[in-house]
Amino acid sequence: MKLKSILTTIILFSGLTYAQDLTGLEVIQNVYNRPTGNDMTGNLIMTIENSRGNQRVRKIKQYVKTVKGGEKKIMFFLSPADVKNTSFMTWSYDEKGKSDDQWIYLPALKKVKRISSDSKGDYFMGSDFTYDDLGDRHPSDDNHTILREEVIDGKEIIVIESVPKDEEYMYSRTVTWVIKDSWIGLKKEFYDEDDELLKILTVEGQKSFGDVIILTKMKMNNVQRNQFTIMEFSDVQIDTGIPNNKFTERMMKRGI
Amino acid sequence: MKNQTLKFSLIMLIGANLFAQNLDINGYVRSYMGVLTNDNYDYSINQNTLDLKLKRTDDNVSFFANPFIYQYPNQDAQLGLREAYMDVYFDNMDLRIGKQQIIWGKADGMFITDIVSPKDLGEFLLRDFDEIRTGITSLKANYYLGDNTVEMVWISTFTPTIMPDETSIWSRIPEFPLPITIDESQKEIPARLENSEGFIKFSGMSSLLDYEIMAGTMWDDDPTLHVSPIIELGNPQPLGLMLTPKHHQLTLAGGSFSSELGGFIFRGEGAYYMGKQFSALNPNQMNLPTSLLEKDYVHYLIGTDFSIGTAWFSTQFIQRAILDYDDMIVQEELDNTMTFLANRTFLQETLTLQLFGYVGLNNEDALIRPSLTYDVADGFEILAGANIFIQNDESEDAGLFGHYDDNDMVYLKVKYSF
Repeated sequence: MKLKSILTTIILFSGLTYAQDLTGLEVIQNVYNRPTGNDMTGNLIMTIENSRGNQRVRKIKQYVKTVKGGEKKIMFFLSPADVKNTSFMTWSYDEKGKSDDQWIYLPALKKVKRISSDSKGDYFMGSDFTYDDLGDRHPSDDNHTILREEVIDGKEIIVIESVPKDEEYMYSRTVTWVIKDSWIGLKKEFYDEDDELLKILTVEGQKSFGDVIILTKMKMNNVQRNQFTIMEFSDVQIDTGIPNNKFTERMMKRGI
Repeated sequence: MKNQTLKFSLIMLIGANLFAQNLDINGYVRSYMGVLTNDNYDYSINQNTLDLKLKRTDDNVSFFANPFIYQYPNQDAQLGLREAYMDVYFDNMDLRIGKQQIIWGKADGMFITDIVSPKDLGEFLLRDFDEIRTGITSLKANYYLGDNTVEMVWISTFTPTIMPDETSIWSRIPEFPLPITIDESQKEIPARLENSEGFIKFSGMSSLLDYEIMAGTMWDDDPTLHVSPIIELGNPQPLGLMLTPKHHQLTLAGGSFSSELGGFIFRGEGAYYMGKQFSALNPNQMNLPTSLLEKDYVHYLIGTDFSIGTAWFSTQFIQRAILDYDDMIVQEELDNTMTFLANRTFLQETLTLQLFGYVGLNNEDALIRPSLTYDVADGFEILAGANIFIQNDESEDAGLFGHYDDNDMVYLKVKYSF
């Protein structure tokens, strides 16, 4: 017991020394800049369970590509049947302050509609993930502070608190557990406007493609509503050379 | 018709078996009942629907068919084919051949540049979006230049707007001071090459702006009523009026755009129509509407979509203006309409509350459509709603919506998508 305490102290101390070399902003920037490949294809299964234990399942085919100045993403909804063939496209930009462009294709309307990206606080398809949770929040949008270091399952973890600069932001703060060196966010807590714990995001699966690590399973637990959503990727492929014309109105209408 | 339904079912079963490996089958079953809120609580509609969507894709070709059946109590089923087309995909071009719905423009629920596919007004404007449009037999070619598209449409045979039959509560015959006789002998447009219709559209999508520019030469989907007096020899006073509906050719050019600014989506759409025939009063014939005047008109819209919290809103202002207006024209020079939409979801998007409305500003009439949709399970929904028509009793004209002031109703739709 004594030895374990000593080891823990050493680990914590050495980690603290390491962390002192980095600021909270730099840690989050490392997470933000972690290599994710030039493009990615995968099938997403989203399982939503409410407080009564009732489950709903959504299946989505997703394509993502890094382009000059940003990223393009297109999602094709495969099920349930009433949303099948709906597609959703996002063009996001590295330029600070530039909002995403978003379009939705509704097969019943047979029309591609531009929609506002201002509703990032809305929940994605009734899940516990908001649109903002699914996007890459720019590190400069928050003030980051290193709270402490921990060792979880033998991994050295830096715990960062991020407080938004925009007081109107939907969360008062978030706390992220970041694995050192691999810069993977392992866990994240979201606090509501009253600084009460609202949601906990945990990473439950990942897959390596060379030096690229893709998070393949995540669980968002809404502790206030006692419900959760699991997002699980399968058939993930990296750097297959998705053509640029995949992210167009033509493909939104045509489907997979 | 029962035989037809049986044949249809057999064809579908055989077809489904033949292509089962690659055939994508979707659709829905729906039960739809509406009750008028009059003294008798008459049913406005009591309909069961089977709607099938069949699709098969092989490399660079695909086909799609959308057969449907409407069934009413104590009546034979109505079988229809909403769409049936084939696609051929090339590197930078797509071809679509067959019966298809073609939807253009950025407006919601209004038809300004969205005039390629005619409307089915059998239930006024109350049908779902995919049911209010009629498929047209046509050839559509899309050529792609990056995020820009050139689209050309050739329609071999003219298809008019489907109007409600005379016994329908949605039938609307204009009022005349004399008894009328209707002559439908000139309503048909002969199916020949010279009577085909053509449209072209150039559209683009960018971070700043989505836009469409279009032009077309077409037959007016809505017939013009040619009115002539019925006169007996020796009696100068007309005994009645002969109404002869006739479609005329129209040429139009227009465009639309959509852009985001500060969290608001701004949309606009407009078209210039040339050669529309308008009914006009004839001072030489007791001011009866027996004249026709050819005028150009513009039809345009501006609108915005925005959200407040978790609620989503949309509003549009629409104006139709007859140019070089003549005071004898029956229709008003300016016709102004507004639409509004408010939508909010609850319980993880399983419960949707919506309020949609048209407001006629000229006659202060309106159609208000509140609805509540609950997703009982994935693909299974129950929708309860109302259609409330409002007429201003002090207005000279009841207006497009006020005319149906007696048709207020509540309705229930139960739908299972598969």
